[in-house]
Amino acid sequence: MMPIWTKSGKKHAVTLLKVQDCHVLRYISKEESGGKTSQLLVGGKNASPFYKSESAMEIFKEAGVPRKQKVTTFNVTDDAIIKPGTPLYAAHFRPGQFVDVTSKTIGKGFQGVMKRWGFKGQPASHGQTKTHRRPGAISTNKAAKVYRGKKMPGRMGNIYRTSFGLKVWRINTKHDIIYVNGSVPGHTNCLVKVKDSKLSTYKDCNKNPPFPTFFADGDEKLPEDLYDEEIFQFTDPSVTYA
Amino acid sequence: SYRISSDGEPAKFQPPPKPVIIDKQKQKGERRFLSPEFIPPRGRTDPLKFYIERKDMIQRRKVFNIPEFYVGHVLAVTTADPCANDKVNRFVGICIQRGGKGLGATFVLRNVIEDQGVEICYELYNPRIQAIEVLKLEKRLDDNLMYLRDALPEYSTFDVNMKPVSHLDHEEIPVNKLQVRMKPKPWSKRWERPKYNIKGIKFELPEKKMKAAQKWSQPWLEFDMLREYDTSKIEEKIWKEVSEELKK
Repeated sequence: MMPIWTKSGKKHAVTLLKVQDCHVLRYISKEESGGKTSQLLVGGKNASPFYKSESAMEIFKEAGVPRKQKVTTFNVTDDAIIKPGTPLYAAHFRPGQFVDVTSKTIGKGFQGVMKRWGFKGQPASHGQTKTHRRPGAISTNKAAKVYRGKKMPGRMGNIYRTSFGLKVWRINTKHDIIYVNGSVPGHTNCLVKVKDSKLSTYKDCNKNPPFPTFFADGDEKLPEDLYDEEIFQFTDPSVTYA
Repeated sequence: SYRISSDGEPAKFQPPPKPVIIDKQKQKGERRFLSPEFIPPRGRTDPLKFYIERKDMIQRRKVFNIPEFYVGHVLAVTTADPCANDKVNRFVGICIQRGGKGLGATFVLRNVIEDQGVEICYELYNPRIQAIEVLKLEKRLDDNLMYLRDALPEYSTFDVNMKPVSHLDHEEIPVNKLQVRMKPKPWSKRWERPKYNIKGIKFELPEKKMKAAQKWSQPWLEFDMLREYDTSKIEEKIWKEVSEELKK
């Protein structure tokens, strides 16, 4: 995570996400997937092919791509279908867009009820016998049972969670890095899924994105760094107020 | 006047010997100072992140000069402030702490203005900073002068309109071996304990208390090999990279 300053002098914290060897693996039609839209299978970071069975490697062989560590599905409209085997780059997103980032949260292991669910526990003194971090009562007398889904101690973390509506401040096309506002679930160097935001407030913010995606061998030659309009770039002189 | 040699003939004109000019600047050699925020902390982060951060830091240093300074220097910082009359805010103080790595590096300046101690934490790479001037160059015995909060206020007062003290580039930065006198206890932290390792305070506590404080010493810490973080090679590489980029 890094600080970033706007032209008005405000500081924001920013997470760096690296797009490492992303390829489109397969196209799944609407009938095959059984949903409302067709889907595209996309794979991230390269990994060793020796630790998976032959049947699992079939998808990668068809696309002509090394084995990927993580494979995710994206629901796409029919006009945004991409041929399997095309690489995806960070320039797919542009500064000023809003994204949702999904990832597995940091695993905390078996945790008690205070850390896992935020219960208040009991006082430290004034006669409490061996009861300082316990849940207390778990149900009423009339119910005569404990309801399903009662908040109790258990394994915490290592589940998929999403941060919605994160602004993209900057894109580095040379190293394929996306600078995303705020924090993102997961530990450092973990694998993450970045999608266009589903929030209704940001429906109109994605003006003219590269559609269906940014092709590296196309005609468009982008500069090494793409900045949002409000970012303070370090080549400018210091900020002053009139 | 010409001397007559043993032959009886006048001696040939000998020009006076050329003066030997010793350039002290070149003799001492260039002083290498790498600002501590360039050194990456120990961890499992990708070095690419530090490389990109360094590029941004060097870019900012090319446009805005951040002078070499240590803890104990007296600095004057002018920042752009939308609420001030002239939109510019100038603060003079002694640097008591330098923290943070990368773009978020900070330094804390302390001064006593009208009997009120004021500490301001500035970010080195904040674009609102207009100028940083070093008024007095002197290192102190410690890396962290937080104990000045519990010292007598005279040690933290510096004139706001102080003139910069001149300093030649090639001279070593002088170390001020000042032993500071403290206010009566209680202090904000127990500075006599060995964990803070402070050499710049004149402790006027009884011997018994000083001995009792040594109970908290951890002499095994300096032999702990897992805590070792040898930055010499990393520093060399980063120093080369940074100095080459700045010269361009």
